[in-house]
Amino acid sequence: MNGDRFESWLRNIYETQNEEISCTECFDLMSRFVELEASGQDAAAKMPQVKQHLDQCPACRDEYETLRELRRLEEEGGMPSIDDLQDLIH
Amino acid sequence: MSNTRTNEEWLNDLRTSGAAQEAAIADLRNLLLRSVLFFFSRNLGEFDRLARDEILQLAEDCAQEALIAVMNHLSDFRGDSKFTTWAYKFGINIALMTARRERWKGVSLDQLASAEDGSLSKWLIRDKSSEFTPDQSALLSEIREVIREVIEQDLTDKQRRVLIMMVFNEVPMDEVARRLDTNRNAIYKMLHDARRKLKNRLQARGFDVGEILALFTIQR
Repeated sequence: MNGDRFESWLRNIYETQNEEISCTECFDLMSRFVELEASGQDAAAKMPQVKQHLDQCPACRDEYETLRELRRLEEEGGMPSIDDLQDLIH
Repeated sequence: MSNTRTNEEWLNDLRTSGAAQEAAIADLRNLLLRSVLFFFSRNLGEFDRLARDEILQLAEDCAQEALIAVMNHLSDFRGDSKFTTWAYKFGINIALMTARRERWKGVSLDQLASAEDGSLSKWLIRDKSSEFTPDQSALLSEIREVIREVIEQDLTDKQRRVLIMMVFNEVPMDEVARRLDTNRNAIYKMLHDARRKLKNRLQARGFDVGEILALFTIQR
């Protein structure tokens, strides 16, 4: 474990709450969280338990980041077509 | 076209029958396939052992699985996001689990779950402590010692194995869950319990973790 990872893990320990939502609960709330962000609202302030879970859970965070990116591309009309995406697979 | 439907139109079309439902299901499947391909295209390193056709087939399978999941959960949609945003997450979730499974297929986790060879101490020692003052380094050494004690003495065997695999060896959560025949929630709970024990023990010993974290910030 290098210094950055140790620091990151120490931060996870420091920010641990007695009660934290589960991955299933995070999954249920994730689309609303992303939608709030997309509309320019402070999603972390409105849904602190989701933010806390995303900071602690690498799997849910990966999904959230991908969802946020897809939402952004859709909003901007830049969503790649299936053909374009298949061309990226090699 | 899928993107022109309102949330209500999506729900109505998917719940109706005949041509309207068929069209909506076809659009939804395409939308889910795009979410899967989007994730795959950004994580190609997970598929090193697969040919392109195999990856594309895997994406089709994931999209089909996600379509079934969305249809089974339609009543859970509360309308607090765009329907497409809500649906995408099913595709992404299945794509991520599939990608991780492919990446770790055939890899033994026994070595990555054990700390019997003293590797735990080595992991905890390896950091940039040379950048700190002697007092700060001594403080960090004490913290590492408490953490090592808690991991070795206070955690259950299962908590310790999960922690070592995920935190120290970066094995993905879904792969740990799959190998232990459990699910994400259970693994998250184990890690949460371990973090709580570590936090409580550090506080009981008088360490202010916030102050310690500030040391790292100052070094930047």
